[in-house]
Amino acid sequence: MPQMGFYFDQTRCTGCFACAVACKDWHDIPAGPINWLRIKEIEKGKYPKLFLTYLVQACNHCTDPPCIKACPVNAIIKRESDGVVIVNQEECIGKNECGFKCLKVCPWDAPQFGLEENAKMQKCDLCLERLEQGQQTICVEACPMYALDVGPINELREKYGNNVDAEGFNYSEKYKPSIVFKPRFYDKK
Amino acid sequence: MSRDNSNLSVNEVKIIKTGCCHDCGGRCVLRTHVKNGKIIRIETDNGDEPQLRACARGRAYRQRIYSPERLKYPLRRVGERGEGKFERISWDEALEIVSSKLIEIKEKYGNSAILLVPGGGNQGMIHGIVPIVLMLHQIGGYTRMWGAPSYEGVLFASMATYGTMMTGNAREDLLNSKLIIMWGWNPANTIWDPETNLILAKAREKGIKIYAIDPIFTDSAAILADEWIPIRPGTDTALLIAITYEIITQNLQDQSFIETYTVGFEKYKDYVLGIEDNQPKTPEWAEEITSVPANMIRKLAQEYATSKPAALIAGWGPARTAFGEQYSRAANVLCAITGNIGINGGYASGFMRAYYSRERIVPGEKKKTDTSNKEQKPKKPRLKDNPIDFGAPPREDALYKLSGGTNPANTRIHYNDYYEAILQGKKGGYPADIKMAYIAGTNRLNQFSNVNKGVKAFKSLDFIIIHEQFMTPTAKFADVILPVNTFMERNDVAVPWLGSPYYIYLNKAIESLYESKSDLEICRELLKRMGIKSSLLDLPEDQILRLFIAPRKDIKSYNKMKRDGYYKVKVEEPFVAFKDQIADLENNPFPTLSGKIEIYCEHIAEKNNPLMPSFPQYFSHDEHYDSPKAKKYPLQLITPHNKRRTHSTLNMIPWLEEIEPHAVWINPVDAEPRKIKEEDLVDVYNDRGRIRIPAKVTGRVMPGVVVVYQGSWYNPNKEGVDLGGCANVLTNDVHSPGGAFPMNSNLVQVELYVKKQAEGF
Repeated sequence: MPQMGFYFDQTRCTGCFACAVACKDWHDIPAGPINWLRIKEIEKGKYPKLFLTYLVQACNHCTDPPCIKACPVNAIIKRESDGVVIVNQEECIGKNECGFKCLKVCPWDAPQFGLEENAKMQKCDLCLERLEQGQQTICVEACPMYALDVGPINELREKYGNNVDAEGFNYSEKYKPSIVFKPRFYDKK
Repeated sequence: MSRDNSNLSVNEVKIIKTGCCHDCGGRCVLRTHVKNGKIIRIETDNGDEPQLRACARGRAYRQRIYSPERLKYPLRRVGERGEGKFERISWDEALEIVSSKLIEIKEKYGNSAILLVPGGGNQGMIHGIVPIVLMLHQIGGYTRMWGAPSYEGVLFASMATYGTMMTGNAREDLLNSKLIIMWGWNPANTIWDPETNLILAKAREKGIKIYAIDPIFTDSAAILADEWIPIRPGTDTALLIAITYEIITQNLQDQSFIETYTVGFEKYKDYVLGIEDNQPKTPEWAEEITSVPANMIRKLAQEYATSKPAALIAGWGPARTAFGEQYSRAANVLCAITGNIGINGGYASGFMRAYYSRERIVPGEKKKTDTSNKEQKPKKPRLKDNPIDFGAPPREDALYKLSGGTNPANTRIHYNDYYEAILQGKKGGYPADIKMAYIAGTNRLNQFSNVNKGVKAFKSLDFIIIHEQFMTPTAKFADVILPVNTFMERNDVAVPWLGSPYYIYLNKAIESLYESKSDLEICRELLKRMGIKSSLLDLPEDQILRLFIAPRKDIKSYNKMKRDGYYKVKVEEPFVAFKDQIADLENNPFPTLSGKIEIYCEHIAEKNNPLMPSFPQYFSHDEHYDSPKAKKYPLQLITPHNKRRTHSTLNMIPWLEEIEPHAVWINPVDAEPRKIKEEDLVDVYNDRGRIRIPAKVTGRVMPGVVVVYQGSWYNPNKEGVDLGGCANVLTNDVHSPGGAFPMNSNLVQVELYVKKQAEGF
């Protein structure tokens, strides 16, 4: 079965946060530390030769996700049907008891925790509920710049190429995040 | 958080189509998911292209509707004005107080004692101020004001140059340009119609070069442009004139266009070359003023004049300055002398674009210019006329011989003078002694210059009534607050921002929350209590809407618009402003007095005001970087829009608040000698007031300039220091001769705030 993944066009992202707010609205997440989708602002250079770009990151639904191995109670599962990595909150023993093991191994901070005592892990589930109804994820449909796409990673690579690097992103050969970028790099010149 | 929604079946949820209609550059589709009478989620447009996708503000709207801060009941003030102490009263009581106060003031002092303080907080056709204006007309009128803070300078310049505010080509036409200049224009944050940023990105992808000229390295400059040119605030006119100098001296102007379609080039040329004042406006002259290197000015001139067609889009921000209209005039004239008007890929910079969504012109119908000013005027005021200034002679500084625009020329008080008008009245030369303010659709105290003077003015009034949704800094001064519902709780139609071919139908998604009512319902009930029947307002909501959209012939089906939640007008090809004029000037003159583009404007020359020159000129002023005041207050403050508010609306929405904390932006060059580090609390102050907010130390603002994004709510402590960081505590309540509001012409000082023991911290 195909592995689902993300495409992000860094050259187009204006950092408007429509995707991030749409994600919080759709999944009913209050303002605060839980961000299934995070937007990193990357500022480089010195006035007047400045560089500013944004990086949108949700969960990369890795081919070989480190969080699954790190979880002491096997609460994180990679679905066979589409490779989407999901968390079974009933199994998760909570941040205090476990000590953020999944978050510690994720290079992109995808696992998210609330402020409450022993909060359980939650993260981007690739809007499975929407995908199953034949809809796109809420973030893809939100982007006014059409800078995001979600689909089988093979198809995304056919459409957008094989590039896995972007400004502010560290690819991992080991975990193989399911992502394709159109990047925008800082050029010191 | 709860994931209870995840196993909802679609059947339980009704999708109701509405859209945003606050005072922003958007007007986007919102599809609300309603379950058991409650909005549980919001999606945006997923229909026909171009999709009208909402920004973060619209996506966060659920938190505004259900905010615990919503005003729930009518309130009566029990504390001091501004203190924020109120008691709940019934609607009966509230309506009785308001209607009898209106009658009392009218009978005791006359209608001119009633000042309407309107705002664009609601841009639906039949709510916000619209029913209030109609109601007040029916009781004999009110004192009104002229001038719009957002754009008054640009509007003046568009009217003076082209005779119309409808300038500029369709957005998709930017793909036909060879060069795009975004001048003081940050659509990435201010939107300027939902498709704009995507088209700019596509233009850049196509290899079209894009410049951004701005004191701030904005998201637009960083992401959409190829090159950022920082410019000292308030000096844009000098840069435009120097570009013109370079074009003329290199003989790069489009001489045949100038000769055919414009008047007054020679007079302007004399000024530019310095024949008139012995000061050639060379790139070196402008470098000293603008801080843009002379070589860059030459390059810009060369590229703009030779990359035809080129689109110069001159934003509104640089026109929100002292003499802001001169900047906008100079930009319009530059478009003309390079012949970039009326052609695909060009752009007539100005107020808006050439689609008729704002100035209501029926397609195909030619706009008439009243050259004689002897149009048959009705003898008696109609429902749409304000009886108070009906028939009054035009203001001397108004371009009253031209038709169109948004301002009544017979109105006397400029918006930025209204605190003085309230405080001084007829004794100060103002046309009325104001006793009562009727405020709607606006957080005026916060959003107009010189908040501290506003506090004094508001305290001096006999009575203040406000329609509001939240306890804004302005509402705290009201005697009676009437809670109004939001656009998701009523039906309306919203016209897009300045000139895109579509409309949004705002379907009512939920019942009015708490005891809130619509502005329309409130006015109907007030009229009833005053014993007045209204032939319009008493009609059913749907019927009023149909009447309001009737002149808009491009809406072919009201029912389709209501069903889809939008009406996207099919336009065969991208519209081009002034295409008809350029194709056949004789039969399609420009709606100016000369029938041509006016580089020199005779109508302005008649005013005989050296500070309102007949062709564009650069001026310094008493709050400029080179003024004596700059010794005491060496930093220039600008107050633009950010990405998380619409003016002061949405200020307190948690999902938006966390996007970008409110801070004063300051360059490291200015922060270091003041010992200011990132996130330090600092005071920004001048003679008008003091605000205390954290600093963001960043190269994204040029040295010598600080930025306080407008719209944050005024929240003074006991010493009168605003801890809310409202930019207008620092701005000057004056206006330029053409009406521009100088919100970006302020001098301030910034200092590190040191907590003092004595203050009890």
